[in-house]
Amino acid sequence: MAEDAVEHHEWETSPWPLVLSVGVLFLAPFAFSMYFVYDSLMLSFISLGIGVPLTLIAVIGWAKESIGGINLYTKEQGFGSGAMPFLIIAEAFIFIGFLVAYWVLRLTADSWPPEGSPHIGYTTPIIMTIILVSSSVTMHIAEHKLEHDNRSGFISFLIITIILGAIFLGLSASEWSHLLHSGFKTSTNIYGSAFYSITGFHASHVIVGLGMFIVALIPALSGSVSKTYVKSASMYWHFVDIIWFFVVSQVYFW
Amino acid sequence: MSGSGGGVGKFLKEWIFTIDHKRVGILYLIGSLAAFAVAGLMAMLIRVELSSVGPTITDPNTYNVWLYFHGAAMILGFQIPALTGFFANWLIPLQIGAKDVAFPRLNALSLWLFWMGIILALLTFVVPNPPDIMWTGYPPYSILSPGNTAFYTFTVLIMGFASIAGGVNLITTIIYMRAPGMRWGKLNMFVWCTMAAFCIQLIFVPILGTAVTMVSMDKYLGTTFFSPTSGGDVLLYQNLFWFYSHPAVYVILLPVLGIIFDIVATFARNRIFNYKVAVYGGVGGITLVSGEVWVHHLYASGMPNWIRVGMMMSTLLISVPVGLCMLSIIGTLYRGAIEFKTPMLYAIGFIFLFLIGGLTGIPLALASLDIYVHDTHFIVAHFHYVMAVAGTFSIVGGIYYFWPKFTGKMYNETLGKLGFAVTFIGVNVTFFTMFFVGLEGMPRRYFDYAQMPQLEDGQRLVTYGAFVLAVGFLITLISWLHSLFAGKPAPDNPWGSKSLEWTTSTPPGPGNWPDVPNCEKFDPYGYGE
Repeated sequence: MAEDAVEHHEWETSPWPLVLSVGVLFLAPFAFSMYFVYDSLMLSFISLGIGVPLTLIAVIGWAKESIGGINLYTKEQGFGSGAMPFLIIAEAFIFIGFLVAYWVLRLTADSWPPEGSPHIGYTTPIIMTIILVSSSVTMHIAEHKLEHDNRSGFISFLIITIILGAIFLGLSASEWSHLLHSGFKTSTNIYGSAFYSITGFHASHVIVGLGMFIVALIPALSGSVSKTYVKSASMYWHFVDIIWFFVVSQVYFW
Repeated sequence: MSGSGGGVGKFLKEWIFTIDHKRVGILYLIGSLAAFAVAGLMAMLIRVELSSVGPTITDPNTYNVWLYFHGAAMILGFQIPALTGFFANWLIPLQIGAKDVAFPRLNALSLWLFWMGIILALLTFVVPNPPDIMWTGYPPYSILSPGNTAFYTFTVLIMGFASIAGGVNLITTIIYMRAPGMRWGKLNMFVWCTMAAFCIQLIFVPILGTAVTMVSMDKYLGTTFFSPTSGGDVLLYQNLFWFYSHPAVYVILLPVLGIIFDIVATFARNRIFNYKVAVYGGVGGITLVSGEVWVHHLYASGMPNWIRVGMMMSTLLISVPVGLCMLSIIGTLYRGAIEFKTPMLYAIGFIFLFLIGGLTGIPLALASLDIYVHDTHFIVAHFHYVMAVAGTFSIVGGIYYFWPKFTGKMYNETLGKLGFAVTFIGVNVTFFTMFFVGLEGMPRRYFDYAQMPQLEDGQRLVTYGAFVLAVGFLITLISWLHSLFAGKPAPDNPWGSKSLEWTTSTPPGPGNWPDVPNCEKFDPYGYGE
């Protein structure tokens, strides 16, 4: 019963979702279990060797396609800022899960901090907080510049935001390596477990945020920007910032 | 990368690389039915093993792997993807008058991640040291087991991410892409129910994600969240796990109810009885209470009595909104011009099975009674009635109902009804008997029951029932294949439904309608005017 009116349309296709999910399969489950379960560093590297290129190709291809806007029926980029709040709710519950675990274990512990925890200095977390908050501010300015069609202002503030985010990650990494060298590990005690997993998950969100910014930056350099995409990336970044307040107050200052 | 020149290459490309919501939905359906087949096979093997005292066909470790696969694949691979993947994807844009979902590529990503989860789950049978930790993955066993807990964690994470992405996508679609004139007050019940299910998923799936992540971190990265010797807490895992996994029951139940609502309204030629009460009280109520009942899974795990009392109350409370939905379904049947086509038989079968499952849930909600039957076959029978079988009846009924629309072929009514009858008998022989086996003291998950040889007769009857059940599903499968290869072409609206999805051509082409339909004068349940 196909009607003439719909026959001239083609089915829309895109290879990137499939490529991306195959990439993720090799990147995460295979690489992880080859190393940790089956003790084979080589197989793990082979998995990464397949997974990383596939994932990168897919992300690039996907980004190119969305900016080309090939979809006939929906303005795919149009709903980004409408959808982001829902993603943020889900993301927030990841942190709630970890924080609740931490609270339960901490409040039922015999003594706190448990034996073997080092004293973690306040200087680094304060600097990290200042950097992340200022990156949120610079991102807000970048968005504002974009609203007023100031492309070069947008690009420079976006770059500043990315640099601030990268500095934050660098500080986090140097703190981790410092603590690990001083013998404070995930297995040291329950504080070690909570500290590394909560800060680690937060850092992974910073990485995702930076990835979103880079995906916005590269086409912006050659003159094409999707405002709703930038708006949703910026929303995500503010969320990462807000979560940091919970992380820093609970694992560092409490 | 297949070529795009020839006919076969183009056909493959248009399916494998598709980002159309209908084709994504059908690929979900194929994956979930594959999971259903393999997990069903596991169920048969489990039943054969339990049909006599002592090792019958296998050893305890293999039996554990079967149990793991049966549970994980049935819930995460079959029911949730069939409902929130196939039905939601295929149906929601058609019911709200949209040309596609809000993010078609993200939709395809959800689909393929789900398939990767299926592949990961199937690798259970290939890899050395397969996961053997049930679908619940309780520590300490999941941490101490020689099995591959990482595969379990990643299966859950990948499928979890797929369902969150799907949820974000479809919630956005429902909010922003309704056709002009498609107001909230006249959405199909299925749209309401599925939207509620997605809201539940957004909140609770991440918690499951953290729980299983912590298990793998404990096992492989040295953390001690669940290790009591280093300050961890085993009960923490059970709470986090059931905080998701009880609402997961409603993620399954809500779309199931939505399908039943739509089938019942069409075949009774009647409006939805108490539409507003069903939406706000029923669907809204289930969503609100779903997160406050999880502790009834842990009555036997140790907790202060005041928590038991509170959780008893909230568990009993949730039967009120569920009851409102059932009241609406039955009220829709009342004084309707009922037509007993195959989908309607499944809907009525659902009402019956759900009733038995619901009523046997009441003693389980009461901590004082639950203590005695906790972790017995009684529980197994209860949740198979209320969730597994009732849900599957709704899924199969829904597939029959929408079959003409998405395949363009009519099915054979006699084969369909025969499949229903055999399945229905098989279900009741299997699971009703299981209640009594459970009350006699048969624990769940046990490989053997050498101390209770008197249960052998009951167990054997359960196994016979399971075979009848399997034959029933085979007949259903044959009826679908028969329709695919020899079915008559279907008209656009074979059931005379008023709902929007039946106004498209059969099967719907790219973009669903030539133009976005105007829904000012539309009413999905406007029978009798």
